[in-house]
Amino acid sequence: MVIVAVPSGGNGGLTSILNPRFGRCESFTFVTVEDGEIKQVKTLPNAASDAMGGAGIQAAQTLGNNNATVAIVGNLGPNAAQALGSLNIKLYQAPNQQITVKDVVQEYIDGNLQELSGANVGSHFGMGGGFGRGRGGAGGGGGGRGRGRNL
Amino acid sequence: MPEKAKIITVTGGKGGTGKTLVAVNLATMFKNAGKRVLLIDGDVENPNTYLLMNGELENKAPVYFFKPSIIETKCSKCGLCSKNCATHALLHVDGQYPIPFLTVCSGCKLCYKICPEEAIKEDYKTIGWTYETKKNNMDLWIGELKPSEARSAAVVEALLDNLKELLEKEPQKYDIIVLDTAPGAHCDVELLLESADLIVPVTEPTKFGKLDLLRIIELIELLGKPYKAIINRSSLLGFKEKFLEELERKDIEILGDIPLDDEIVQSYCQGDPLMDENSNFNKEGEGYKSFITIFENLNKWIREKKTASMEGA
Repeated sequence: MVIVAVPSGGNGGLTSILNPRFGRCESFTFVTVEDGEIKQVKTLPNAASDAMGGAGIQAAQTLGNNNATVAIVGNLGPNAAQALGSLNIKLYQAPNQQITVKDVVQEYIDGNLQELSGANVGSHFGMGGGFGRGRGGAGGGGGGRGRGRNL
Repeated sequence: MPEKAKIITVTGGKGGTGKTLVAVNLATMFKNAGKRVLLIDGDVENPNTYLLMNGELENKAPVYFFKPSIIETKCSKCGLCSKNCATHALLHVDGQYPIPFLTVCSGCKLCYKICPEEAIKEDYKTIGWTYETKKNNMDLWIGELKPSEARSAAVVEALLDNLKELLEKEPQKYDIIVLDTAPGAHCDVELLLESADLIVPVTEPTKFGKLDLLRIIELIELLGKPYKAIINRSSLLGFKEKFLEELERKDIEILGDIPLDDEIVQSYCQGDPLMDENSNFNKEGEGYKSFITIFENLNKWIREKKTASMEGA
């Protein structure tokens, strides 16, 4: 049994669209996969969606606390990648197109998704509005430059 | 009673307007006039004042910044630190030890203070350095942020802590202290503005220069500090007259302007301050004369301030 977490739009669910912004997606859809079939679906709002900072870390924590062992992501920043890595959550790159949670999980089940070894965008890539899509492919190096000055 | 050192902060909003050029040459002119001068480079992301003076980085001292260290033998994995961390710098999953993420840690020490098990150790990392050197009969302090670190204001604070300590121990050591800021109107700059008796924003007669000058002046006015601007590259494309008119309309006083001048560029590239008494630049040059005028106006301003404060007392 594997619990696959997918950053999703709106309230989440199988028919919602995968949100490419990991730390700042609206919700997470947790899909339990067993014997190549979707067995169970759970959704949670993303508490980090409008966090001042550290959204990727907080979002990773939500995945850890809900026992996810796999995450399918669009864009992934360096902090989120490191946090998910330290929780031993396996990362897969979502295709660079609009896709529902159900379809992307099916792609995962069919073995069509590439594993991701780390960040594929820089820090704060997903801040602000809009749907930015980054480079796909596994093994993207994350050269992030975050600025914070609150002392 | 001996006088307290005057602190003059050179700033400007926009990058590349000539802040460091002005800071170095003002400091140099005070030194020529027999004053004991300390110049502090507070542009910790691009510390380069020493290059304009052919100086070296010496007497390196680390600037430390708090980092939380988890003592696993004491930690009960309760997650209180993580729940209360404003920047989400502590990753905590039920049943596991929290994991610090130093890149987002603000150094507030809240985790250290609230941990019921005292399982967070006050640890430190080096985020930059300070340097103290002597050049051209002046003392020069420099702050440098370690590349990849974000908390530049902590390095500026380290410089200002050193200054505060010096002023407490040896209040008469210097007559004049010149602070050179980074571009922008952020907290690194604000710290150096707050410390000033007088502020000299350096700008240039372009739209960019004006916009950034108005932003820095907004900050200076919030802090309630006196300021007078310098317009560098004032002969640029004939914008000067219009620019001066606009500043006048906004009641921004001017200390003087510096025209484009090859000798300034030459002095800059050679690391030989234009106004140093030992330099061989043309004393009739436009740049040279403009600095003399600025220095006269600055001294007049200092005298006016002194009279005003004596009358006020």
